[in-house]
Amino acid sequence: MTEITENEDAHEFRSEAVSLWRITFAPLIWAVHFAACYGATALVCAKDGAVDGLRLGIGIGTGVALVAIVWLGWQAWQQWDLVRDRDWENDQGTGEDRHQFLGHAAFLLAVISFIGVSYVALPALLIGTCR
Amino acid sequence: MTRPAPLPVAEGPYPPTEEMLNAPVPPEEQERGKAELRAAWKTPEGWRYFSAVNNTEVGVWYALTAFGFMLLAGLLALAMRVQLAFPGMTFLDADRFNQFFTMHGSAMMFLFAVPMFEAISILLLPAFLGARDMPFPRLSAYGYWCFLIGGCFVLGSLLFDAGPKAGWFMYPPLATEEEGVGPDIWLLGLSFIEVASIAAAVELIVGALKCRPPGMRVNIMPLYAWYVMVVGGMILFAFPPLIAGDFLFELQRSFDWPFFDPERGGDPILWQHLFWIFGHPEVYIVFLPSIAIAAMIVPTVARRPIVGYSWIVLSAVGTGFLSFGLWVHHMFTTGLPQMSLAFFSAASEAVVIPTGIQLFAFIATLMVGRVRMSLPMLWIAGALAIFVAGGLTGVMLAIVPFNWAAHDTYFVVAHLHYTLFGGMVFPVIAGVYYFYPFFAKKLLSERLGRWSFWLIFTGFNVTFLPMHLTGLMGMPRRVFTYPESSGWGTLNLVSTIGAFVVAAGFAVFVYDLLRPKSRQGQIPRNPWDAGTLEFSHDVPEEAWGVRSVPYITSRYPLWDQPKLVERMDAGRYYLPDAPDHQRETVVTSVIDAKPIYVQRVTGPAWITIWAAIFTGGAFIFPTFHIYKPAIVCGAFAIVCVLYWLWTSTARPPRDEMREAGLGLRLPTYTSGPDAVGWWGMWITMLGDATAFASIVFGFFFYWTARPDFLPAGTDHAIGTWVAAAALLGVLAWAATLLAREVNRRGNVMLARLALGLAPLSAAAAAATAWLAVRDLDPVSHVYPAILWALMVWLVVHLCAGIVMQCYCLAGSLFGKVTPRHDADLRNVTLYWHFMALKVLVTAALLGLVPGWLP
Repeated sequence: MTEITENEDAHEFRSEAVSLWRITFAPLIWAVHFAACYGATALVCAKDGAVDGLRLGIGIGTGVALVAIVWLGWQAWQQWDLVRDRDWENDQGTGEDRHQFLGHAAFLLAVISFIGVSYVALPALLIGTCR
Repeated sequence: MTRPAPLPVAEGPYPPTEEMLNAPVPPEEQERGKAELRAAWKTPEGWRYFSAVNNTEVGVWYALTAFGFMLLAGLLALAMRVQLAFPGMTFLDADRFNQFFTMHGSAMMFLFAVPMFEAISILLLPAFLGARDMPFPRLSAYGYWCFLIGGCFVLGSLLFDAGPKAGWFMYPPLATEEEGVGPDIWLLGLSFIEVASIAAAVELIVGALKCRPPGMRVNIMPLYAWYVMVVGGMILFAFPPLIAGDFLFELQRSFDWPFFDPERGGDPILWQHLFWIFGHPEVYIVFLPSIAIAAMIVPTVARRPIVGYSWIVLSAVGTGFLSFGLWVHHMFTTGLPQMSLAFFSAASEAVVIPTGIQLFAFIATLMVGRVRMSLPMLWIAGALAIFVAGGLTGVMLAIVPFNWAAHDTYFVVAHLHYTLFGGMVFPVIAGVYYFYPFFAKKLLSERLGRWSFWLIFTGFNVTFLPMHLTGLMGMPRRVFTYPESSGWGTLNLVSTIGAFVVAAGFAVFVYDLLRPKSRQGQIPRNPWDAGTLEFSHDVPEEAWGVRSVPYITSRYPLWDQPKLVERMDAGRYYLPDAPDHQRETVVTSVIDAKPIYVQRVTGPAWITIWAAIFTGGAFIFPTFHIYKPAIVCGAFAIVCVLYWLWTSTARPPRDEMREAGLGLRLPTYTSGPDAVGWWGMWITMLGDATAFASIVFGFFFYWTARPDFLPAGTDHAIGTWVAAAALLGVLAWAATLLAREVNRRGNVMLARLALGLAPLSAAAAAATAWLAVRDLDPVSHVYPAILWALMVWLVVHLCAGIVMQCYCLAGSLFGKVTPRHDADLRNVTLYWHFMALKVLVTAALLGLVPGWLP
C-alpha cells in the first residue's frame, strides 16, 4: 500500500509532471513560422518590395524551424521508446505508459509540424514576386 | 507576526489496492450514502425547476434550445428554396430574402453549431469522466440563459422585419452603411452569445483537465475529452478576434469612428481578417467535437478499443493548430499579395493530413473489429461519406486559381453544406441516437431512425449535389431570383425538392425525439455494450451523476474493469456520501489525475437568471442607441455576479479535511494553481489577451495597409499622461502582488493597506489614460480612433480590476480571505499580471510606437 504523499512517478517521469504544453511545442513552432512568414510578406510587399531579401529570410527561418522541429521530434521519439518495448498503444494506467504516450503524441505532432512548415515555405521557393 | 500554517494536503493510501476495493460496504452505510447524496443533488421541483444548475438539466435545455433555433433556421432555408424553385418567383421579395439568408447562416453557426457542442459537452462530459457535475455549474446555467435571451432577440428581429441583411459575415462597407438596426442586432446580440460561448469553453477545459476521476491519466482519458480540450482552446483563440472586431464595428456604427471607412484612413479588409481569423477555426470548432462523437461510437460498434488513439490525439491537436492558418482562403479575391495567398493555400492543403488521419483511424477500427451495425453507426457512415465529398471540394477550393473561378457561386454553398452536414449534423444526430438512453433513459425507435436517415441522406444529396453544377454554371450565391434564360431553373427545382425531403426527414426525427415513450418500460443500463464510463449511469435516473467516483485504470473501464459498476453502485469508491448535504466532486491533477481536493459544487439558484437578464439588457439596449438603462443593467449584472461569487465560492470551509472513502482524506479548500477557480481565471485571461492582441493587430494592420497611417501633421496622445498611466497601472499591479505576498505571510494589515491603495492607483491610471487622448477627435481619422479604442479597452479592464481588488479587500475585512484561505486574492493577482502587460503594451502604442514608425 502506498501513500498518496509518496510521489514515485514524479522523479522517474518528471519531464511532463506539471504540464501538457510540451506536446504542443512543435505545432507552436509551425504557428510562429507561419505568422512570421505572413507578417514579413505583408510588410515587405506593402512597404518596399524587397522580395529577394524576403525569400532569403523565409528560407533561413524555415531552416531554423525545421531543425528545431527535428530536434523536438527526436526527443519525443526517445521518450516514446518504441524500439525497446514495441508498445504502440501505451494504454495502461501507469506512469510509464503516460510518459511514453506523451512522447508518441509529441512525435506525431512533430511530423505533422514538419510537413506543415515545409508546405508553408513552398510559396517563397516558387513565387518570386509580390504581384 | 507568525507565519500561518500551510493548508493541509491529501493524505492516506493511494492508489487503492484490489484488497481495499474488495472489502464490502455494509448495507446501512450504502443506504445512508444514497440518502445523503439524494438530498444534496435533489433537482428542484415545480416552477423552481428552472433554478436548476445541474449539468443534466442545463445540458438538455441547452441542446433543445439550440435544436429549436436550428429548426427555425431550417425553415428560413426552406422559404429560400421555394423562392428559388423557379425563375422569377415572387414568394419572397429581395429585402426579406436578404434577411433570411443572413439569419439562416448566422443562426446555424452562432445559435446552433457552436452552442450544440457546448450543450452536448455540458451534458456528457461529466459522465465520460465519472464526475458529479461540471466545476462551475452556475456558469453553465448563466451561459445558457444568456444564450436563450440573445438567441430569441436575434431571431426575433425577423418578426419586425428588422433583421440584418448583409450576409452572415457582415462585410463593411455594406453592413456599416446599412440602414436600420439590423447590423446592431447582429453585432450586439451575437457578441452576447459569444461571451456565453467563451464561458462554456472555460468550463469545459477546466472540466477535462481537473475533474477526471482518480487514476484517469491523460493517456487513458476518453477521446472526447481530448477533443473538448482542443476545441475549448480553439474557442479561446478564435472568438476573441471576432469580439474585438465587433467592438470596433459597433464603435463605427454608433459613434462614427472610421475603422472600416477608407475615406478617413480605415480599411474594410481589417474586418475580413478579424472575422475569418474567427470564422475558419470556427468550422473546425464545429467539426471536431462532432467527429469526437464518432470516436466514441466507432469502438462500441467495432467492439474493440479504437485503433491509433495517439494518432487521433495528433489529429485533434494538429487540426486545432493548422486551422488557424487558413483564414485568408476566404479572402483570395481581395487583392492580397500572391505570396501571402499561397501561404494560406499551402496550410489549407496541409490541414487535410490530420483531418484524414482520424477518418482512417475510424475505418481501421471498423476493419479489425467485429462490427455490429447499429443505428448510430448508420448515421456515422452517412457522415463520413458526405464529409469526404465536402473535404474533396475543399481541397479544390484551397487552390487559388480555382477559387477565383468558383468564388461566391453555388459551388461554395454546396461545399460548405457538405462539410457541415457531414462534419456536424450527421454525427450529432448519431450522437443523439447513441446517447439518448443515457440522458433520457429511453430508446429511440429503430424504424423511425432508419426512415429519418434515408430521407435526410437522400434529400441532402438531391439538394446539394446539383448545386456544384449550378455554381459551375455561374449562379452566384445570395441572389433572390434569376432569369429563365440563365438555364439554372431545372437544377434549382431539383434542389428545392431535395430540401423538402430533408425537411420530411427532420420531421420524422423530431417526432421520434419528442413523442411520449412512457410505455417503453425500463431500458437496459448499457444498451450498446459500450466500454466508457457514461454507460455506468443509473437507470432509473438519479441526479447525483455517479454513485461513487471510480478509480480508473483503462481506456474502456466497463470492458476492462469487470467489477467497476458493481463497486460504484455499492459506494465502494470515492465520495460515496454527502454528510453535510453539500454538492461535491473530486478535483484531480492535470496529467496523472491524482486526487487533490474535494470541490464544493454550487447548487440551484435564481441569481444566474437575473445575472443573464441584466447582462442581456446591457447588450440589447445599446442596439437601439439607449445607453443609460444599458449602463444600469450592466451595473446590476455585475452586482448579481458578485453576490453569487461572494455567497457560494471559495468560502473558508468548516472542516478542513474530508473522509473521501478508501481511507483517503482530502482537503476541502485549496488556492492557486491546484484550484479550479485559478484555472478558470487563467483560461479566461488567455482569451481576453487574444482579443486585446487583435486590436493591437489592427493598429499595425493600418500601418502596413494604409499609406496615410500615421496621417501627416496629426496630433498624438499626450506623452506625460501616457507615462503617468503606465506608472500608475504598474503600481496597482505591484500593490496587488504585495497584498498577496504579505497576506500569505500573515501580515493582514499591510495586505489591506495595499488592497486599499491598489484600486486608487488603478483608478488614477484609468483617468490619466483618458486624459492622454482626450483632445484627439476619434471621428476625424482612424489613427485617433484606434488610440481611443485602445484607451476604452484599457479603462474597461482597469475598472474590472478595481472591482476585483475591492472584492478582495472586502473579503479580507469580512473573513472570506484569510492568510490561509486566499484563493480569491491569488486569482485576482493572476488577473493583474495580465493587466500589467496590457497597461504596458497600451502605453507603448499610445506613447512610443507612433514615434518609431517610419
